[in-house]
Amino acid sequence: MKHLKIACLLVAMSTPIAAQTADELVENIVTHHILPRFETLAKETQTLAAAAETDCDAASRPLRTAYGAAFDAWISASHLRFGPTEEADRGFALAFWPDSRGATPKALGALIAAQDPIAQSPQAYGEVSIAARGFYALEFLLYDTQVSTAGPAAYRCTLVRTITADIAATAADIDDAWRHDHARRLTAPSANGPYRSDEEALQVIFKALTTGLQFTSDARLGWPLGTFERPHPKRAEAWRSGRSARNVALSLASLRDLAVRLAGGDAELAARLGTLFDHVQRDLVALDDPIFAGVAEPQSRFRIEAVQQSVDGIRDLVAARLGPRLGVSAGFNALDGD
Amino acid sequence: MTSRRGFLAGLLATGLAPRPTWADVGGPAFLSAAATADGSYALCGIGVARDLLFQIPLPARGHAAAAHPTRPEAVAFARRPGTFAVVIDCMSGAQKAVLNAPEGRHFYGHGAFSQDGRWLFTTENDYEAGKGRIGVWDTARGYARADEFASGGTGPHDIRRLPGTDVLVVANGGIDTHPDTGQTALNIATMRPNLSYVAEGQIVETAELPHDWHKNSIRHLAVSARGQVAFGMQWQGAGEAPPLVGLHERGSAPRLLSAPDEQWRKMQGYIGSVALAPGDQAVIVTSPRGNTVLVFDTGAQELAASLPLADACGAAPSETGVLVSSGTGALALIEGSGLSRAAQAGLRWDNHLVAI
Repeated sequence: MKHLKIACLLVAMSTPIAAQTADELVENIVTHHILPRFETLAKETQTLAAAAETDCDAASRPLRTAYGAAFDAWISASHLRFGPTEEADRGFALAFWPDSRGATPKALGALIAAQDPIAQSPQAYGEVSIAARGFYALEFLLYDTQVSTAGPAAYRCTLVRTITADIAATAADIDDAWRHDHARRLTAPSANGPYRSDEEALQVIFKALTTGLQFTSDARLGWPLGTFERPHPKRAEAWRSGRSARNVALSLASLRDLAVRLAGGDAELAARLGTLFDHVQRDLVALDDPIFAGVAEPQSRFRIEAVQQSVDGIRDLVAARLGPRLGVSAGFNALDGD
Repeated sequence: MTSRRGFLAGLLATGLAPRPTWADVGGPAFLSAAATADGSYALCGIGVARDLLFQIPLPARGHAAAAHPTRPEAVAFARRPGTFAVVIDCMSGAQKAVLNAPEGRHFYGHGAFSQDGRWLFTTENDYEAGKGRIGVWDTARGYARADEFASGGTGPHDIRRLPGTDVLVVANGGIDTHPDTGQTALNIATMRPNLSYVAEGQIVETAELPHDWHKNSIRHLAVSARGQVAFGMQWQGAGEAPPLVGLHERGSAPRLLSAPDEQWRKMQGYIGSVALAPGDQAVIVTSPRGNTVLVFDTGAQELAASLPLADACGAAPSETGVLVSSGTGALALIEGSGLSRAAQAGLRWDNHLVAI
């Protein structure tokens, strides 16, 4: 009996295609990948807002710890940019980055200089420049030497409390929309809904994987790398709080989970993807450069570029093998863009 | 004995020969870049009968071309964010000049000539400032850089000249990108596309859609003989069926064309090219992602036909209708709501078809 079970298991594992049907795949990803991430984000941001209520001082240890945990939760969900995160620009309200024109410190500076009363209310705060909202604005208030000391402490305290409350409200809205509406739209496609078939649902999830990989390569790594002649260490994501490499690692961990799930029954592909992701994580640890300061030095820069190339290698494998498996293969012009 | 070619070259050198025209290269009606069967790239001249008149090698994959108004001379642009474009003599196949984007600029892949053919205008990105620029190149001095001016927005893409004038119309797509971050858009939350009209380097009119559509990137243009502008867009926001085509005439507000949601969904938020049929009777748009061509009746301002065509992308007016090219090699002529297919074996047509 026991031997028979093992035999069946082996047969199941070696089936090359569609050990899981499309609807099973979507169900699996919604239940085990998407919903838990937004639930964690909602919880951690609530804890963050509560910590700010208790102690709004920029140097407060509990506040900084809560900021780190909530930011972790966002990065782990940050590739899921469709549906509830895109309605009402919620995703951008949590994460305005890369801030190529320095809009965040400018917007915060203007609020502080004017002691703008809009900071009194989290509801009203939804109307300010999107650059003054979310995790990256909060990072300036907690860690930037200028912004964290600008103007009266009481006003900055109000800003910290309002921004964290705004973050928590936005995260709660996303979680709510996923649990009560969007999860069902993905798992039960309908002719009138945003997804008309399981294949369309899978395709939007696949796109989250490819754009997530692209963002980590182009923005999280490419933006500070700049060019050999002009590297930009101060463009590294969240370097003020020492999170640049951590954010890459967290995003890749989430993308690995999603890629392996999408590979479904193709055990060989899933294993290859897993190995590639593991290699990048190992190289990232070996860098031992939490804020990618090394982009400016030829020796260390080369190793950060190698991390970016490894991520691009994963993108190539995903496009070549995973896309066609999920019915996503584009033509000569469709692939090109513009 | 003096060869004919040598004789002609001698005459050209003395300035005695008549200047060559497009008729000297078979009178192509269209230009398009293509990938060939052996994986190389070429610029092709296409006749009215959809026949291949010439095929000139390109150093890399092209995006769009600009045809000189009189001389058989074309500028082929590299794909965004390319930093070079090549000027090709379509008689000899030789490269006449190479345009290198100045420091801190890259091309967006489109260009237009002045009415007299003296100047070439190119859409460019001043990427440190995040501002769109129009580069000016002097054809009389070997396409030397002569000047530049503001495009009137961010991320200018297509550029056309209004017929009978030197007024340029620019599709400022609104999307801020930087070569360091590849194709990643840096400003989706705050993007603001527009149509800008430029005369003698000055913005003389700007048209915008209502704020609800600020994530609808205006990218491709068509201009008819009487100056009507059609624009095709690429949607960067949430929701699955935004309108993607509009019409504009100077002095009025832009109008969006309507189609059933079902048809917009097919386009997958992405218009590859737009063309106006002769007499402004129809607007034709392609979606390579949706493998679909939509035909709008301009009079009734509604959808007239939805035609399947795999990887359809290029579109340009012909004498009788609109020619559409595809990445599978098709050259489909659309007349009224009908479509007649032909194909060039072994060629994959690149993004845009340019009418001469």
